Amino acid sequence: MNLSIFTKTSILSPTLSSRIILNRSISNSITPTPIISRCYPIPNPPISTNPKTPLFLRPPTFSATLSDLQKWQNWAKTLASSIGSTFTDSDNGPNSENLHRELNWLIEDALENPQFLQNPQFIENPQLQLRAELGDLYELWKQRIEERRPFQYVVGCEHWRDLVLSVEEGVLIPRPETELMVDLVEGVVKEEEDDDDDGLKGGLWVDLGTGSGAIAIGIARVLGGFGRVIVVDLSSVAVRVAEFNVKRYNLQDKISVKQGSWFEPLSGFEGRVAGLVSNPPYIPSGHIGGLQAEVGRHEPRLALDGGEDGMADLLHLCNGAASMLKSGGFFAFETNGEDQCKFLVDHMETVYYGSFYNLKIVKDFAGIERFVTGFRS
Amino acid sequence: MSSIILIRRAYNRSSSSILFRFQSLFIPNSHPQFSTSTVKPQNHASGFDLPSKNVSSSISNERLNFSYRRRLLLFSTQAAVEASTSDGLTVDGIVANQWTILDENESDWKSHASAIAQSICLIKKRLKWKELKVRLELLSFQLEKPDIWDDPVHAGKISREHGTLMGKMKEVNGLEQELLEHIDMIKLAREEDDVDLELESVKALLRMRQSLKEKELEALLAGEHDSCSCFIEVQAGAGGTESMDWAGMVMQMYKMWAQRRGYGVTVVDEMRGEIAGIKRATVRVDGEYAYGYAKAEVGAHRLVRISPFDSAKRRHTSFAAVAVTPILGDGSHHVQISESDLRIERYRSGGAGGQHANVTDSAVRITHIPTGITAACQNERSQHQNKASAMAVLQSRLDQREMVRQAQMNAQYTQSLTDNSWGNQIRSYVLHPYRMVKDLRTNFEVSDPDSVLEGEIDDFILSYLTESMDKENDQV
Ligand SMILES: C[S@@+](CC[C@H](N)C(=O)[O-])C[C@H]1O[C@@H](n2cnc3c(N)ncnc32)[C@H](O)[C@@H]1O
Repeated sequence: MNLSIFTKTSILSPTLSSRIILNRSISNSITPTPIISRCYPIPNPPISTNPKTPLFLRPPTFSATLSDLQKWQNWAKTLASSIGSTFTDSDNGPNSENLHRELNWLIEDALENPQFLQNPQFIENPQLQLRAELGDLYELWKQRIEERRPFQYVVGCEHWRDLVLSVEEGVLIPRPETELMVDLVEGVVKEEEDDDDDGLKGGLWVDLGTGSGAIAIGIARVLGGFGRVIVVDLSSVAVRVAEFNVKRYNLQDKISVKQGSWFEPLSGFEGRVAGLVSNPPYIPSGHIGGLQAEVGRHEPRLALDGGEDGMADLLHLCNGAASMLKSGGFFAFETNGEDQCKFLVDHMETVYYGSFYNLKIVKDFAGIERFVTGFRS
Repeated sequence: MSSIILIRRAYNRSSSSILFRFQSLFIPNSHPQFSTSTVKPQNHASGFDLPSKNVSSSISNERLNFSYRRRLLLFSTQAAVEASTSDGLTVDGIVANQWTILDENESDWKSHASAIAQSICLIKKRLKWKELKVRLELLSFQLEKPDIWDDPVHAGKISREHGTLMGKMKEVNGLEQELLEHIDMIKLAREEDDVDLELESVKALLRMRQSLKEKELEALLAGEHDSCSCFIEVQAGAGGTESMDWAGMVMQMYKMWAQRRGYGVTVVDEMRGEIAGIKRATVRVDGEYAYGYAKAEVGAHRLVRISPFDSAKRRHTSFAAVAVTPILGDGSHHVQISESDLRIERYRSGGAGGQHANVTDSAVRITHIPTGITAACQNERSQHQNKASAMAVLQSRLDQREMVRQAQMNAQYTQSLTDNSWGNQIRSYVLHPYRMVKDLRTNFEVSDPDSVLEGEIDDFILSYLTESMDKENDQV
């Protein structure tokens, strides 16, 4: 089976292939942007491969007949149906219904005119244009079911809020819960009357452990024409993917991507940060082994493992918040749930007595206490 | 040639008519420049305008300009003068003449004219012409008040409605005008023995006659929200798998109907049956007049057949309930939803969530606490979009509820809206022992259930709309 779709361009020299991918991504981006427009240094410029282009952004250069596609679709449906609730019962994974919906989305991303597969009566030409070879579609769906490869890695993107973010192995797939982080920021920014540099809206925002750049891009769009954002991640894959996504949304002048560990790339900004957000790894090390297959087998441990009690990075962030945030500055952290939220608030109220005010625990839509927010005194 | 007509027309008016004075003014400088710069067709104030695309292209521009000018005059002066041909024939006059209406293929101008005049009268009736004129005057009066824009929301509503009604009024007046001009032209052609012109004008009448059939239908959809997109919701009645299967068939019927009509269809919320069909589902239907048509489907739909799910092969009767709610444009909502009245829940989630779980299912259910009305969506690819979709459904349901409440206070409309309650059985689909689909409101029936279930329901919809419109008119 041909797996070469992801590496089609790699026969070319690395630099040339990077050009091609960049050009392609840019031609598909929301607004065309110059290729190079960064004015900050990247530590350890990644020499590794380029971000993979999400399926839906690839050119529809392949084709298949309607009947071959239908054959594939029926095969894929049967495979999805055969799962029943097996995955759900074993590790709370997807059931058949979820998989069927994913299959529709795969079709949506892979076909130039997905509606034709649903309403073949409207087709004039029985050849359909595809963004991947039919053989690859077989392979991708097999990976989805047999290897439990996350759907978002299969199609190379995750729909998150109103964004479509590129993701790939090595970078965490942003979670639905995390969407609320942006709403929390929007909430405090909206309350503000003016948008001068002293306020939150016009100030400096920081997203630590940015992964795909999801939260930062969401925030930058909430800030509109004001403020700027620095994002940090230790992982070079994350840094590359975040840069790709930032460019796709034409935010490269507003968001700087830095590689490094937590506050390390931010020296010099002490007491100047208006907003600090982070969704750091928070799963206790002991739980990693028992995670849902899509997560445990495929997502990077660096993005998940929060040390013995899952609190290592959160506590580090707490300490940093005290020194980095300016007076009146806002922070929001995502946590593993009620226990971590309570612990953090307690920590801030005792160890950092008087440093923070208006500490709040906010629930996600499943009713789980998920976020801690507050302001620097 | 147009100036000849102008002069003739002018002479045919009594000199006391406002029209006469204006027209005499126009004659000396009726060159094209004047007509195009001052009197452009300008009735595009709203999306409700029926398109006037079929205006005969064979008639010269100047003649058209002339007709616009006269149309405009009628409005600007609110003149009560009825439009007529050069020899005083009016649309009502044509109807009164009762010229025989022959087949379309017969090239007889009187027959065409008679058919057109009848269509125009029907359209006027459907638009409730007299009421429309009164309403329009009332709205104009309100719009002229100097303080109207102190309340911009209210003013916006008034001015939108004014624009809509004005558009309809102009449209119909334009049709009348067009008819009379074609007749004038035919008479003129005869006087001048211009066979080509006569032939062309008769053809133009024929085109008009054909396009008016479509407009008669459109005039059925004169309700305030008829032009909106809508949500269609189908719920299985009691009876397990058989009725869930039936609900699924009904939903499929609407999807196919919508596709046939060129509407966009998106599944918003779907709860499948364990074995077959759906427990409930909501689809969004996007396109002009989707609500106007689909609202005719509200009620309970009954199926009689030998159930494929019954091993004893017995005959079963099952029900599916259909609800339809309009998607009002921003700014025309009847209910302002306040965030604090909402409970937003992620459902079908379990476990610790967050980094623990990789899910592509981010279904959201929103409950409007004060009313208990809920809406859900799980077919979007992000939670944010699911929430936005569910909000749109909720808004639509709350708007609808409020409209019904308001209508109940307004006795005139009570009848038609309460008829639409979703428990009312409206149609029966029998597959066994005989085959028939029958609408219980209109008694309209067809003997081919398959075509109906494949989405051919327009005839049912139109017969219902016609009947309820006539009923309403009779009540007035
Ligand atoms: C749970 S993921 C969150 C990703 C992204 N913010 C989101 O919400 O989708 C945690 C991220 O923190 C990064 N990370 C882990 N250790 C780090 C460190 N020492 N310094 C900076 N980033 C780190 C991981 O690479 C990963 O991208």
